[in-house]
Amino acid sequence: MAESTLRESIVAPTTAPAPASRGARVLQFVADRGIVVFTVGLIVFAIVFVNGFASVSNVSDVFYRAAPIGIVALGMTFVVISANYLDLSVVAQVATAAVIFIGVSNQAGIIAAVLVAIVVALVYGLVNGIAVGYFRANAVIVTLATTFIGLGILRWLSGGSIFFGPDGGIVQSLGQAKVGPVPLSAIVLIAMAVILGFVLQKTTFGFAIRSYGSNKAAARLAGVQTGRLVVGAFIITSLSAMVAGFVLAAFSNTAVSSMSDGYDFRALAAIIIGGTSVFGGRGSVLRTLLGVVFVSVLTNILVLSGMGFGLQQVAIGALIVIAVSVDALARKLVKS
Amino acid sequence: MRISRTAMAAVGVAATAIVLLAGCSGSGDSGSGDGTNTYDVYALLPQGTDQPYGTTYLPAMQAEAEKDGIKLTITNSKYDADQQASECEVAVAARPDLIILWPAVGDTVRPCLAAAQAAGIPVTVTNSGVNEEDVPLTKGFSGPDTYGQGAASAEIMCDITGGQEVGILVVNGLTGNSTATTRRDGFADTIAKNCPNVKILAEQPGNWNKDDSQIAVSEMLTSVGADKVQGIYAADDTMVAGAIDALKARGIDPAPLFITSIGNTKLGNPLVVSGELDGTVFQSSSWDGEHAIDLAYTVLTGGDAKDQFMPSVKVTKDNASDPDVAPEW
Amino acid sequence: MPDLTRLRAVLARRTEGRAVVLLIAVLVAAVAFEPVVFSSFQVVLGRVALIGLVALGLTAVILLGELDLSVASTLALSGVVMASIPDPVLGVVAALATGLVVGLINSFFVVVVGINSFIATLGMLFALRGAAFVLSGEEPVRLTNIDAGIAFGAPLIGPLTPRVLLFFLVFAALQVFLSRTRIGREFYAVGGNRQAAIDVGIPVRRRLVLGFLISGVVASLAGVINTLERTAADPTAGSTVLLASFAAAIIGGVLLNGGRGTVLGTLIGALALSILQVVLTLSGVQVDIQDIFVGSILLIAIISDPTRLRASVSRLRDSLSRSRTRAPA
Repeated sequence: MAESTLRESIVAPTTAPAPASRGARVLQFVADRGIVVFTVGLIVFAIVFVNGFASVSNVSDVFYRAAPIGIVALGMTFVVISANYLDLSVVAQVATAAVIFIGVSNQAGIIAAVLVAIVVALVYGLVNGIAVGYFRANAVIVTLATTFIGLGILRWLSGGSIFFGPDGGIVQSLGQAKVGPVPLSAIVLIAMAVILGFVLQKTTFGFAIRSYGSNKAAARLAGVQTGRLVVGAFIITSLSAMVAGFVLAAFSNTAVSSMSDGYDFRALAAIIIGGTSVFGGRGSVLRTLLGVVFVSVLTNILVLSGMGFGLQQVAIGALIVIAVSVDALARKLVKS
Repeated sequence: MRISRTAMAAVGVAATAIVLLAGCSGSGDSGSGDGTNTYDVYALLPQGTDQPYGTTYLPAMQAEAEKDGIKLTITNSKYDADQQASECEVAVAARPDLIILWPAVGDTVRPCLAAAQAAGIPVTVTNSGVNEEDVPLTKGFSGPDTYGQGAASAEIMCDITGGQEVGILVVNGLTGNSTATTRRDGFADTIAKNCPNVKILAEQPGNWNKDDSQIAVSEMLTSVGADKVQGIYAADDTMVAGAIDALKARGIDPAPLFITSIGNTKLGNPLVVSGELDGTVFQSSSWDGEHAIDLAYTVLTGGDAKDQFMPSVKVTKDNASDPDVAPEW
Repeated sequence: MPDLTRLRAVLARRTEGRAVVLLIAVLVAAVAFEPVVFSSFQVVLGRVALIGLVALGLTAVILLGELDLSVASTLALSGVVMASIPDPVLGVVAALATGLVVGLINSFFVVVVGINSFIATLGMLFALRGAAFVLSGEEPVRLTNIDAGIAFGAPLIGPLTPRVLLFFLVFAALQVFLSRTRIGREFYAVGGNRQAAIDVGIPVRRRLVLGFLISGVVASLAGVINTLERTAADPTAGSTVLLASFAAAIIGGVLLNGGRGTVLGTLIGALALSILQVVLTLSGVQVDIQDIFVGSILLIAIISDPTRLRASVSRLRDSLSRSRTRAPA
């Protein structure tokens, strides 16, 4: 059931008439599923050419890389699809959730920590969502403002220290937990993808978000409660950022307010590489998941081959552009 | 109608701004003590409560300033050299009695020093040094010997490996950060000079983060082969803790490996005590913050200002439980 | 009366209202709490030129309905290119050429390949930063002629430094270009309704290329100025520039979807934000509280667009009352 949802979601974006020749069919396939082709191609390349890539411990590393940033990106996909650019405040949200997860757990237990974090996530989602959805304010500036406010409050209240969970505590055991050889954070990532994929593809809310994203004016005229949709999209992003904060904190058993620096644009990169349109409307959660896997595998390969940080950044940037270009060119050719 | 609404909005925003700012200045004044301040000092720092080190540096600095009757105005440029340069212009324009500078990027501070000198404002340097040719523009330095810390960590490594041929992994700080670069140079130079038997097999940045370091180390173990790795050096304790976790996650016991770092923090010290971390170099954030003011006060009162280097105390299993190397952050 | 009506009509067409309101509010607060800001206005101008220059170039691209996320990385890379070349004139030329090439690459992907500018420039954001690290060896690069750099930072006319003069030159050029020339006015048509612009025969592709060239060159000019003033190029430079530029432009009334806004608005937006920052620095308030304050001001400013405020509140009220009546069912 869930699998068919995901499969549909990736084919859904473009439905062109059946192409005639084989070449055209290949083009059509690439145009529809560019990110699948790229991800699979990259993984095959790595298995054949990169020593140690296919080992159990290395696949775990790929998932450790993918999980926190991926969970953020999955949620943020809703904001992007609703044609609101991105949520910069995930940087503050992930760090806040991580600090709460460890700081409050140490004081009052893990359940209290989760409850506090949920309240904080809802506040973020509501403030961002109301400002963007009801006041029709620009999402970039609203979430830039809430990033300043959020990090300011976090550092003011927590004093900025590094928090760590006790050795052998529940946070640490969650971070080290595995089901068979599969780390728990990978399972959380997949579970979030299934849940959020279902919400986006199979619920009225998901349908409304997608149609709102593709045509704001029409949705408003049709009497859709557009403000609520935007609030919903931001709340989903905030709850995802919270889960990402938990995963990040559990993995390292530490939390500090600077640990999620750069998550805003890295998450956006994964979403865009997946093929979700920044104009809103077109896109899916599974695409984002593939985008995250693509970036994580790529980074992993570059580190495995001993490349320095500068060259890693060059390669990642170039591949973003190349992947999206091939996708765009294939689409163009299919059209003509 | 439209105009009056605009006016109302203007009044509203202005009123909010004034109320908020009033609240801010109130809290600012309350921090400066009981009105016995004799000196105005600007402290231009590149970090504060956004980093764990700055978090424990600041209170020590503020407490010492309070004691000496110094009113501090602190900025945080978040390691953006251009931001710090602009803050320096603001500081010079405010005509304080002294400026304490922690360079965001050491190579870029000459114009700031020159401007302060032209305005007759003395500058002392804290934590990270300036280039040699810029030293005459300053009144003195207090802080850790960053290069020496990397060197000290390398000396521990040389010591414990005792001439064996070993291969190690290196985890650096944030790419482009001057502390990261200087520590790396100190470590690599000393290894090359004192114990060329230690070979660096691979190095990656760990961004001062435990999680980044843990993944990077695990990936380096995959790429060079875990059986070829006999040691790890990380540029701080937070990252070395990640490295040790990466070893454990693969079922490798870290104790027989040669592992060194820098910091002696609350995360690192217990690892030394337990024997997983062979040695680290104590960096006291409170010493650093306190001496920044101490040096400034000496300059302000016309005393004999001498550079004050934090001793790079090596912390190994022998002395890890001593009270004078109790970790601070 | 008719005059007043016309005034209202003119005001209603302007897009800078929000920025003006914010600027007034900030000025009022400055008069009340830190009047020293006014006696050191060259410091404020320096700050405006620092965060505003890149924003001016960005405004041209945003008016076209496109985005350029690569500006900060372009700034860093141009600086490194410049400092790597010993001859100062050649260095400046090479740095500006870097900006041109970046603009060409960006527009190639957007215009020829047909991918969204958000994506193309996001890729460039990573790639150019990486290139800056590779080229610089991950360390700051000092200028060969440091004294020239220091001289460049000194006031040229009255209290105005070359940075401030160049900033106003770029502002004037873009203001005239966008409001007084046919090509410039076509920018608005391209951003407002792309299909209509194509239909009336505007060479849309050429306008897009020109837009990216402007933002690329202006960003590299900022890199040149920063590098000269700092006497060194830092590959990590510009970390706070991208978002500050967006904030200045959008507060200044530039519509992120294109077609609406002015560089004058961006200038006023940058002015308001800069004075706010300088006032806060002078106030000596704890940095965290400054951040909370800046964020709150931004949030209030962005949601209190005077022309829209009433509609927003009624939408919210509607929605709340509807959910209340619906709740029992």
